[in-house]
Amino acid sequence: MLSRDAEHFYWLSRYVERAENTARILNVNVELMLDFPGDKSSMWKPLIEITGMEKVFIEKYQEFDEINSVKFLSDDKENPNSILSSLIMAQYNARPIRNNLPRSSAEQLNLILKDFINDMASTKSRSRRTNYIYEVISKSQLFFGIISDNFLRGTEYQFIKLGRFIERADMISRIIDQQCLRDTSTLGENFPTLQWASILRSMSAYESYRMFSQGDISQKEVLNFLIKNKDYGRSISSCLYNVENSINNLPRNTPIKSEIKNLHNRIQKARLEKYSDMKIHDFIDLLQRKLLLIDELIDKSYFHNN
Amino acid sequence: MINLKEYSSNGAFDEFISDQSKFRTQASKIGNLLNSLTSSELKDIHQATQSAIKSMGISFRVYDKNNSFEDRSWPLDFIPRIIRNSEWDTVSKGLQQRCKAINLFIEDCYNDQEFLKSGLMDPNLILKSPSFKKECIGMKLPYSVWSHISGTDLIRDKDGNFYVLEDNLRVPSGVSYMIENRLVMKKVFPELFNHYGVLPVDEYTSKLYSTLASLQSSKSKPEIVILTPGVFNSAYFEHSHLAQQLGIDLVQGSDLLVSEDGYVYKKTINGLKKIDVIYRRINDDYLDPLVWNKNSTLGVQGIINAWKNKKVVIVNAPGCGIADDKAVYSYVPQMIKFYLNESPILKNIDTFLCSDKNSRDYVINHMQDLVVKPVNESGGYGIVIGRDTTNKERLEVGKKINQNPRNYVAQPLVSLSTAPTYCSGELDARHMDLRPFVLSGAKNYVSVGGLTRVALKKGATVVNSSQGGGSKDTWVIDR
Repeated sequence: MLSRDAEHFYWLSRYVERAENTARILNVNVELMLDFPGDKSSMWKPLIEITGMEKVFIEKYQEFDEINSVKFLSDDKENPNSILSSLIMAQYNARPIRNNLPRSSAEQLNLILKDFINDMASTKSRSRRTNYIYEVISKSQLFFGIISDNFLRGTEYQFIKLGRFIERADMISRIIDQQCLRDTSTLGENFPTLQWASILRSMSAYESYRMFSQGDISQKEVLNFLIKNKDYGRSISSCLYNVENSINNLPRNTPIKSEIKNLHNRIQKARLEKYSDMKIHDFIDLLQRKLLLIDELIDKSYFHNN
Repeated sequence: MINLKEYSSNGAFDEFISDQSKFRTQASKIGNLLNSLTSSELKDIHQATQSAIKSMGISFRVYDKNNSFEDRSWPLDFIPRIIRNSEWDTVSKGLQQRCKAINLFIEDCYNDQEFLKSGLMDPNLILKSPSFKKECIGMKLPYSVWSHISGTDLIRDKDGNFYVLEDNLRVPSGVSYMIENRLVMKKVFPELFNHYGVLPVDEYTSKLYSTLASLQSSKSKPEIVILTPGVFNSAYFEHSHLAQQLGIDLVQGSDLLVSEDGYVYKKTINGLKKIDVIYRRINDDYLDPLVWNKNSTLGVQGIINAWKNKKVVIVNAPGCGIADDKAVYSYVPQMIKFYLNESPILKNIDTFLCSDKNSRDYVINHMQDLVVKPVNESGGYGIVIGRDTTNKERLEVGKKINQNPRNYVAQPLVSLSTAPTYCSGELDARHMDLRPFVLSGAKNYVSVGGLTRVALKKGATVVNSSQGGGSKDTWVIDR
């Protein structure tokens, strides 16, 4: 398989997953805000920080209010990580490999982007826009659904899986990090529970979490669930197993395999329930550096190996 | 339904309906069928055709003056063009004869130059042409073939005979549309096939593969790639389609490199892999920044050297464009005589070379009856149809010809044959041409029929899809 084609498959998948995850965190915040009247700027800032784009944001908008934040994360082309930019980049990567994708999945991808542009331009209504953003989630899932139902389990498929699960693990770690670092002292004592409940909802994890854990929704339990639970598809651990599984089907995989194994061990050994917020931050930081390293190894082994 | 009394081809040869307002024999079954359909039934078939094309993703790209582009659905008319096998057989032989002579001519130009020395042609037409590549001098290629894949444009004139309009020897496109057109037709009009023994067209891709493979001798499973300029090229659909049909990689220049051992490699997830044959869809000038266009980012550094050292096969061969020129075209009948000692099976259209003083004066004075063409353009660009111009415009063109006479030829306005075509709810006569594809290698092969392009505007004769042309499925029938 051509290196460039592999890279296109990988990034196509990462960008679709990124658009979906951005839509998820946006929606959960919009919902969460309804529970908290008063100054909202402290609720939007962390969200922008998750995407690592606060500098670009401040230059353009200054105020961390809802209108600016939603605009920035949804259809602002100047934000390279907005939903719109991610979908455009997904399209860009899909174009050269279009004939190798199941036709209906390529059409679905076109549709997500086209609908999103048209819908967002068609209305200023806050609730409608929230709905349109929400639709990105289901449409992206449909895209991956078509791929997983119709695509030969060949090398191409492995790169799609790699991109999807590395992106997902990365995004979950960012979400967790920002929530743990958030200054909640002014938001009242109910905030942490509400916050973690809404994070679970944003990842469609609430129901699964409820089957796994009774009683209060506590940070400790949620963290264990989102990071270590192998049976839940959006946990970091489960993402990592998917990455490992794909890597096993690819050539020249020894260095990547040992890096993944190493990360698995770190995660399973971590006693998250005993960690302070600061220590969790350090742990997440380590996770992200390792994910970045795996991404670099994939790049070096397959995309730029000459 | 077709109103046979009012149907008019405006003096052109109509392939369905004779001068006596009757269906020709081979068109009678389909003609009667079309006549039995109401206009709403015709509309249904038209819409089914459009939606099949859309869902199959058959598209082509058009650029405007600002260099922005859009992908449009490929235009296909659901009424096929029908050619009898007995006639096609002759055309097919004529095309092979022509390609054989042209290929011998190209090799001759880069070697002994016997044709040029024979006095049959002004040698400067070749030696001073920008398409003449001195890097190719002395090269001898397997089977003496330089243009392995060509797409010769044919038209049927008033007398009902096929004539060659031009030889496209560089990187002719359109064959994917020929293949896809048939798939669409089978979906939307299956009942039509029952009435005719329509010969299949899709063996083209396997013949293309064996032609490409026949150009190297070392391996039974050679590594073949298609080299594309990339997604922004207007023919990217075809590049991608062919790569998929052949099951080979579609590469860009940046995917290839020439290693120290002089061979060409592609970059894969397993590391470097040696390439045997490159079917390139990039023009000569962009192939190798070390040799021709220095700023080309589309090509591969050192690829021409690899080719000269026979470490890789490039298809079509660099430098083959020397014979793809509307002035050189006029000498093909002499080439056939000179190299093969045969008389040409397919006829040329009379061509006036503006480089010749007498012809030039004639062209400038009779421009309203002629079509003026730049010799080195393709895609219908720069063509001036005298009859459609004002006095002032003709003066302008005359000036351009005088400034650079070598750059222009003129031909009498030929009449392109017509066939009934579905246009805004009615069946009306539209002009069309035909582009068959000829493969030359260890064996020769001519596509069954080819791509029929049809001008959708009434009376128009420019059939290029970039300029509003459509297409028809081309049926060669054995009964």
